[in-house]
Amino acid sequence: MITVKNLNKYFDGVHVLKDINFEYSPGECSLIIGASGSGKTVLLKSLVGLHNPDSGEIWYNDRLFNKLSFRDKKEIRKEIGMLFQGSALFDFATVQENIMFPMDFFTDWTYAQKLKRVNFCLDRVSLKNVNNLYPNEISGGMQKRVGIARAIALNPKYLFCDEPNSGLDPQTSIVIDRLISEITKEYNITTVINTHDMNSVMEIGDKVGFIHKGNLLWEGSKDNILTSQSKELNDFVFATELAKKLKSAI
Amino acid sequence: MKNTLEHIGQYFLLMKVVFSKPDKKSVFRKQFFVDAEKLVIDSIPIVAIISVFIGAVIVIQTAYNIESPLIPKMYVGYMARESLVLEFCSTMIALILAGKVGSNISSEIGSMRISEQIDAMEIMGVNSANFLILPKIAASTLLNPLLMLMSFILGLFGGALIIGITGVITLSQYTEGIQFSFRVYYVIYSMIKMSVFSFLITSISSYFGYYARGGSLGVGRSSTKAIVVSSVAILIFNLIITQLMLN
Repeated sequence: MITVKNLNKYFDGVHVLKDINFEYSPGECSLIIGASGSGKTVLLKSLVGLHNPDSGEIWYNDRLFNKLSFRDKKEIRKEIGMLFQGSALFDFATVQENIMFPMDFFTDWTYAQKLKRVNFCLDRVSLKNVNNLYPNEISGGMQKRVGIARAIALNPKYLFCDEPNSGLDPQTSIVIDRLISEITKEYNITTVINTHDMNSVMEIGDKVGFIHKGNLLWEGSKDNILTSQSKELNDFVFATELAKKLKSAI
Repeated sequence: MKNTLEHIGQYFLLMKVVFSKPDKKSVFRKQFFVDAEKLVIDSIPIVAIISVFIGAVIVIQTAYNIESPLIPKMYVGYMARESLVLEFCSTMIALILAGKVGSNISSEIGSMRISEQIDAMEIMGVNSANFLILPKIAASTLLNPLLMLMSFILGLFGGALIIGITGVITLSQYTEGIQFSFRVYYVIYSMIKMSVFSFLITSISSYFGYYARGGSLGVGRSSTKAIVVSSVAILIFNLIITQLMLN
């Protein structure tokens, strides 16, 4: 479980995150939605420790993450998997080496054991015969899948995804969304996803939080987001003409 | 000035993280050999070509500048050797490596920074600075002095080659000059200089790459800064080491 209490973050005097509070549970896909520049990525990066919050608390179960030493944070980070917007696969390594990378550092497995795990992870994301290809030799959708495979390589307790659908066509996006959702439920992972893709929200949003100008304005689920009374949320959700027509139909 | 001091402070803070114990020795060992190949072995051809040609040019220039019949011709070999060992094989080669290796390191790490690959390592719990920078520093600091030795030998060979082609002096005069008043200490001095310069090139270039910002343009800027700052640092430390070791 991840609990955030009164989280604040400033950049050069600009208040980017304002008193954020939430609680995310295992086995659920929790989505953070909001317009570009609303503070989603800063929030996600604060959760994983890439940014230090100016005040507030980030709890991983009973461990106060943002007050831990570098060494103790490292222990929690071993339980974290992250899928980046641009996949962030290592250019210098093949697909297989990318997935093996965390195993090389944090396990004493033999090469055969690592290879078995790599193939299991690749199989789980429906990829075959790509072990020896480099990231620039596979498509964007495949890179995302490899990113997921790398993220789950060490059986993480927490999975963070930053715009997992960015740059993907709608069909591939749904495949990636469903894959993340399946893995979340299968391994009882606490998954936090940053997105502005409403298809993702409607597909896998067990819990949804809407961020607007650094404030967490609304929380709910995919089932009640369309009937929300929040003006800002409605402006975001029903931004297109098609969505506005749907809204009037509702 | 404030900006410069900030950079220096940030550089030393980065070095503190870089020189921590590697997360896993086997990974460090593997990365050491990868970087040794990329930074040292791959530099052999360019260093070899430059050394042979510069050795030849030094011999020709020295021979044509010794006009007095009172100065023995063997001094051409002596002066070529001294020029090569004292300055060319360490300082000049280091400046060339600052361009070749420095830009390579800076752009590689900078690209990893802007494409979030370094963030990915950090989130995994890997000390990215240690993993990416320490093997580079270790490989170049330990192995580049051998590159300097190779450059010295090839420089002398270049001199011999041009003597064979032009006959500007005899080969025996040249070899006599090379052996004349030879001090091993100068070779050691030059190897130490090369080791220090290699540390400066790899650490400064890594620093600029590690803190690259602003997309591909930012990577280009950090690469340029890395070369300029490394080159200036080489010149300053050349002066300091020379004063300390030869005075």
